[in-house]
Amino acid sequence: MEQPLAGIRVIEVGGTLAVAGATKTFSDFGADVIKVEPRGGAEMRRLPPFRDDEPGPERGAIHIALDTGKRSLVLDLTTPSGREVLTRLAATARLVFVHLPREQALAALDAVGRATPRPSTVALAAHGLEGPYADRVENDMSLFAWSSRMRTHSNPNMAPLRYGSGVPTMQWAATAAAAGVAAAWGHEHDGTARAIEVAGVEALLSNVDAWYAVWAFNGMELPRGGGPSKTAYPAGCYPCSDGYVLFASAGEPFFSRLCTGIGHPELPADPRFSTPAAKAEHWEDFVGYLGPWLAIRTRDQAFSELQQHGVMLAPVLTIPEAMATPQAVARSSFVTAPLADGGTTTLAGPPFRLPDAWEIRAAPRLGEHNTELLDTLGYSRDEQIALYRAGVTG
Amino acid sequence: MTSRILAGVRVVELAEVWAGPMGGSYLGDLGANVIKVESFPRTSVTRIVAPTPPGQGPSYETSATQQTANRNKRHMALNLRTDRGPEVLRRLIAQADILTESYSAGTFAKMGFGWEFCRQVNPRLSLISMPGWGVTGPYQGYVTLGSGLDASGGHWSLRGYPDDPDDLVPAVFHSDATGALTLVFAAVTALRRREQTGAGTHIDLSQIEALAWQLPGAFAEWTMNGRVPRRTGNMDPVVVPHGVYLTSGGEATAGADGAAWVAIAAENDAQWAGVAGVLGHTEWAADGHPWATVTGRLAARAAIDAVLSEYALTATAETIADAVQAAGGIAAPVIAPWSVLTSAQHLARNWLESVDHRWLGTQLFPGFPWRTSPDAASWDRPSGLVGEHNSELLGELGYAEVEIASMLADGVIGDHYGPRADAD
Repeated sequence: MEQPLAGIRVIEVGGTLAVAGATKTFSDFGADVIKVEPRGGAEMRRLPPFRDDEPGPERGAIHIALDTGKRSLVLDLTTPSGREVLTRLAATARLVFVHLPREQALAALDAVGRATPRPSTVALAAHGLEGPYADRVENDMSLFAWSSRMRTHSNPNMAPLRYGSGVPTMQWAATAAAAGVAAAWGHEHDGTARAIEVAGVEALLSNVDAWYAVWAFNGMELPRGGGPSKTAYPAGCYPCSDGYVLFASAGEPFFSRLCTGIGHPELPADPRFSTPAAKAEHWEDFVGYLGPWLAIRTRDQAFSELQQHGVMLAPVLTIPEAMATPQAVARSSFVTAPLADGGTTTLAGPPFRLPDAWEIRAAPRLGEHNTELLDTLGYSRDEQIALYRAGVTG
Repeated sequence: MTSRILAGVRVVELAEVWAGPMGGSYLGDLGANVIKVESFPRTSVTRIVAPTPPGQGPSYETSATQQTANRNKRHMALNLRTDRGPEVLRRLIAQADILTESYSAGTFAKMGFGWEFCRQVNPRLSLISMPGWGVTGPYQGYVTLGSGLDASGGHWSLRGYPDDPDDLVPAVFHSDATGALTLVFAAVTALRRREQTGAGTHIDLSQIEALAWQLPGAFAEWTMNGRVPRRTGNMDPVVVPHGVYLTSGGEATAGADGAAWVAIAAENDAQWAGVAGVLGHTEWAADGHPWATVTGRLAARAAIDAVLSEYALTATAETIADAVQAAGGIAAPVIAPWSVLTSAQHLARNWLESVDHRWLGTQLFPGFPWRTSPDAASWDRPSGLVGEHNSELLGELGYAEVEIASMLADGVIGDHYGPRADAD
């Protein structure tokens, strides 16, 4: 069966983590994604970690994971010659993603706009392409600072914290991907080439887990800090024999289910725990019941036993542990993926599943598809040599 | 909703809390016709998990979580455990292109509405099931919120101050944000598959897997190099400076404690030159100075952190960020929720959305995550009231007014939770 996004050609311009993340899902679901890279390679090829800690354009884990199945074309878009190739390439595409510093982005979008037929475009810019902050350079951490989420992600009197490295940027990427795939669909159906802009700050602020509304309605700054709640318990982490489990929800019916699960179905009716106010005064008493129950169980035992009672809890796992859960193993959540040099590595599997839809192929070597792509665009070998000689390709 | 990108696509949503509802609103923003079927008489979790504001209106209509993720859809409250309830859902399915459900794995099928039922009613419908850990596998019936997926997906082990134990790490619900976006991509993928085959499909969207591919570096530390990644605070192992520093205050960023913070980084020599200039020490970026080089700064992490910590206390977060940015470095104030309202950038882009809600009055909300041209999204419908569109939707499904009235009287549909006095 054909992959669901077969027949959609996507051009990726800019080579950043955000734009490469945006086009990966297209590629793995069957779109023809062409990665336009500057000479020397896309910035995201320089992101660590590297295989065996040896840096190099083909060895970066981020490149290997996010450029799967794409084709690589090296083009110097700071030159009119490079932009002319982009125009010709764009005329063969449904969708062009662009993430470059503002002036370069506008020039690239202009080149794409000269294509006939014109593709839809998705421009990524940290603060958007217009406005007083349009020229600011941000990274994953500073972008997150602008999201309002960093502020609540901290412990009292300590510096606000970033998330895992790249995580905010990848949310931005996924936002651009969602808008882009919809635009491709819309374009196919109503013939309208759309210009879409996805500002990183706006993407992070306009999704859930940004607590603006809580402040707007209640004037509350969300309670900060980790540690188990001593009022709305059992929300938070509690120790088992081999690490922690996290209880996600404290309200009913989850509190009653938990009490039943640990063999104390009488507790919800106990005056110490029967009202929120009373509960707030008797956390230590409750831990007297829960603590010993957890202490003689592993995270996995507590997790599976209490989930049978409908309790919202999960084990807190390291990265290797997360890859090895019974669920991840049963579902093959992590898969063997080919590398450009013929080796293999292990990567995360599909973000969603439908039959015969998702396939992971090797990330391209830098400029691996220069000749084949320029051939199909109608550049003669003399012209290709001229472009190479002038440093436009590489 | 005036975007026409997904015009003509009909979506029915049986999803609670955040990921599914937010994704449904995004589909509505893009022009899809989205119908939210809420549980009744059980109150949707989305409506009760956040603090609610004082003032008028039942709390389930005004909670922050509900408002964030339920725009641009029509609302029906339906009791599927009544004689007539399932028929309403059957008729909705018969007309829909996409059905989304976020019950725990296996639950929707046990209720009698699984994939086999859906495809028999409407072979062109695609069902998107989005339980936390996915449809298949041993975790059948397991329940969670986004924080549990963050914990068991490994992200929890990466966040936090260095060497902190797990229980000091703040809970986050990031997988809800990524799940919502993945839902949009999955929905369009299903539509395109239908163009190829003529038939709908069942999509198994595991929210933990939808997050996993977004942590490629952390997984590669283990799979490629055999290291277990640990929490590192704001430090970047190969970039100095890279941190968050306490400032003297902030016009729009300080919290109740008066504290305001600024993030500062320099990823290369040019950016460092900008930071050094702001610090009044251009010589720190000049040839010959040990801090002028990437490797020199890597070796001087603590000293550079100390210099920045001291400097940051001399000015506000915004002042520092403006100065470092103007000099070519990376810096940003760690903004608070209210900073959104006064951001020069948001104001210049006219990004905030003014929304009228029956109980909350006029509120300003963060705008849309994307800007589409020529057909921009608009916030046509605020978060729906319970059962607000019952009559309109049932009418479209062919129910007569008298039937609708009897369904309301019999509790097949509802327009409030709990005693009526509490609702009005």
